[in-house]
Amino acid sequence: MGLKELENKSIYIIREAYAEFENPAILWSMGKDSTTALWLCRKAFLGEIPFPVIHIDTGYKFKQMYEFRDRIAEEWGFDLVIAKNEEAMKTGMGPEKGKLECCTALKTEALMNYLDTHRFDALFLAIRRDEHGIRAKERVFSPRDEEFRWNYRDQPLEMWDQYQTQGRSEKGAVQHHTRVHPILHWRELDVWEYIKQEKDIPVNPMYFANNGKRYRSLGCEPCTSPIDSTAETIDEIVEELKMTKVAERSGRAQDKEKAFMMQKLRALGYM
Amino acid sequence: MNVNVVLVGHVDHGKSTLIGRLLYDSESIKDERVEEIQKLAEEYKRKFEFAYFLDSFEDELKEERTIDTVSLMFKSKKNYYTITDVPGHKEFIKNMLTGASHADVAVLVVSAEEGVQEQTRRHMFLLKMLGIKQVFVVVNKMDIEDYKKERFEEEKEQISKLLDSFDYATGEMLFIPVSAVEGDNIYKYSEQMKWYDGPTLIDALDGVTLKGKEKPLRFAVQDIYKVENEETIVGRVESGILRRADNVIFEPSGVKAKVEKIKVFEGEWAEAKAGASIGIIINGGVVKRGDVLGLLEKPPKPTNAFLGEAVLLDKNLKKGEVVEIRCGTAKVSGEIKEIRERIDSETGAVLESNPEEINEHDAATIVFATEPLVVEEFAEIPELGRFVLVKANKNIGAGVVLQTNFSF
Repeated sequence: MGLKELENKSIYIIREAYAEFENPAILWSMGKDSTTALWLCRKAFLGEIPFPVIHIDTGYKFKQMYEFRDRIAEEWGFDLVIAKNEEAMKTGMGPEKGKLECCTALKTEALMNYLDTHRFDALFLAIRRDEHGIRAKERVFSPRDEEFRWNYRDQPLEMWDQYQTQGRSEKGAVQHHTRVHPILHWRELDVWEYIKQEKDIPVNPMYFANNGKRYRSLGCEPCTSPIDSTAETIDEIVEELKMTKVAERSGRAQDKEKAFMMQKLRALGYM
Repeated sequence: MNVNVVLVGHVDHGKSTLIGRLLYDSESIKDERVEEIQKLAEEYKRKFEFAYFLDSFEDELKEERTIDTVSLMFKSKKNYYTITDVPGHKEFIKNMLTGASHADVAVLVVSAEEGVQEQTRRHMFLLKMLGIKQVFVVVNKMDIEDYKKERFEEEKEQISKLLDSFDYATGEMLFIPVSAVEGDNIYKYSEQMKWYDGPTLIDALDGVTLKGKEKPLRFAVQDIYKVENEETIVGRVESGILRRADNVIFEPSGVKAKVEKIKVFEGEWAEAKAGASIGIIINGGVVKRGDVLGLLEKPPKPTNAFLGEAVLLDKNLKKGEVVEIRCGTAKVSGEIKEIRERIDSETGAVLESNPEEINEHDAATIVFATEPLVVEEFAEIPELGRFVLVKANKNIGAGVVLQTNFSF
């Protein structure tokens, strides 16, 4: 798809979700994808984002990510809220206790608690199909039960932009909230070409090469490593991606520890 | 050009393998993914297979079958492709329809070893219903049949017979003998089938033209936002072109108005083409989500009854039952007023006339009595001629509109 078509479809999805759900929110990790999704929300609403922007803070993010977060939140003036699993953080949860355990406690559980307190019925997430085999199987509107489980064996019928839009239900019912994926149909290269085209989407400097290394995907400091790269500008990143045969999330430890790790994480409610 | 391709066919006829092969031969697969798959295959004591690029659920690998649809992107010398794999099991028809609904073109995969099977028939029946008429047929697993021309010709005849019965134009259809496992006639010409003088699959796909016919303007209202103190009607141009100063009507609200502004985040536009997600400002009148805008001279007509053909993916649906119907952004309740024919979604055969109910996987022609809404005949404006049926908040069926303004 061309960039205009990608954008049109994303805006359509965002507006559908906003019309169908009562209490949505968007997750923002400060990476290129979720920042692009925020930008698309601004476009969809012709200016201000009318719902909270949630950052799940594990306490393990890079310093540059926190700086970036606070700067953009101020510039764009949205309602930034921060979700943390304080309890797990106090007891010293960290990747050395197991990556699956750490991601589950500091990300998934932090989000669960926050969602339960604030009763969000829809959550925008900037995942893409080409990131990971498991994410390729996602629906645009993807229901989760109260345990955040993804019933991937029985996903809704989703034809022609007719999404299954069920609101939040009480405990005991099958559905808890709906994940909405406005950029599911974008590729990594599309995101960078779009950032190049739009000019006003801010980019965390960690994506640009420094001493022959750059981050291609941003996560927590202990579990994210940079790739070899000389790309110092957006244009150079676009060129690099056209040539590369290395996977985008190659620097993300939680995907790779063992086979189907990502599926296990996602079955537990991971993004 | 961008082309959406769906691969359909019976289980184990090699859809996932064929897509894996296309991705591999077009060099779209990352090295790391190849290594990962090799490792997995060892772990599960299996032979390396191209299908593992697509079947990413642990259950899919264990059960050796595709459960859910997946779309992957790759580029040939000419086109960008989004290629969609769908499961070949009856129990996953819901996922097959999800995957097929965005396709421009279909590739039917039939195993030379097994020939036409249940899901070959059902998938082709459903594609026909969804209006996907551009189809390439690949006869796969030619390696197992020693690349014999006679086997290919036999299969071709059998498949043509089936497709003729569904009214496909088989005369213009390409039939390609391939081996997805060996890579014959996918990206490279087969050394083993010199008797075949047609194009490879990728050349056939690269030759596709997508012709859109001219359609009247329709704009589906998604929502009304207040932006800088202006009531901004947001939505998508479904067909045709919307221009500033157009005289328009919104139905079923019946509001007549003039388009004062076409607004987007960046500013204002003079016109917006089909597919554009925009905002518009009109000179007055209250419209709502679900309304459809058209030009006054070629207006959308609201209806409270229509005839549709649908396939059911839930247990059953009875005459007299009320369901929710979604078309465009409209969501109305509709009664199953009349079930004209219950149709076998495998063979297309009429099973029953005027039945009291239909069951899971049945297709049917149904008269719906609805709250006022705008639907269009699928043959005229497909964007507003297809609908989804919802019961207890679950999408349970899908169909196309055969006739609007229906009276009964």
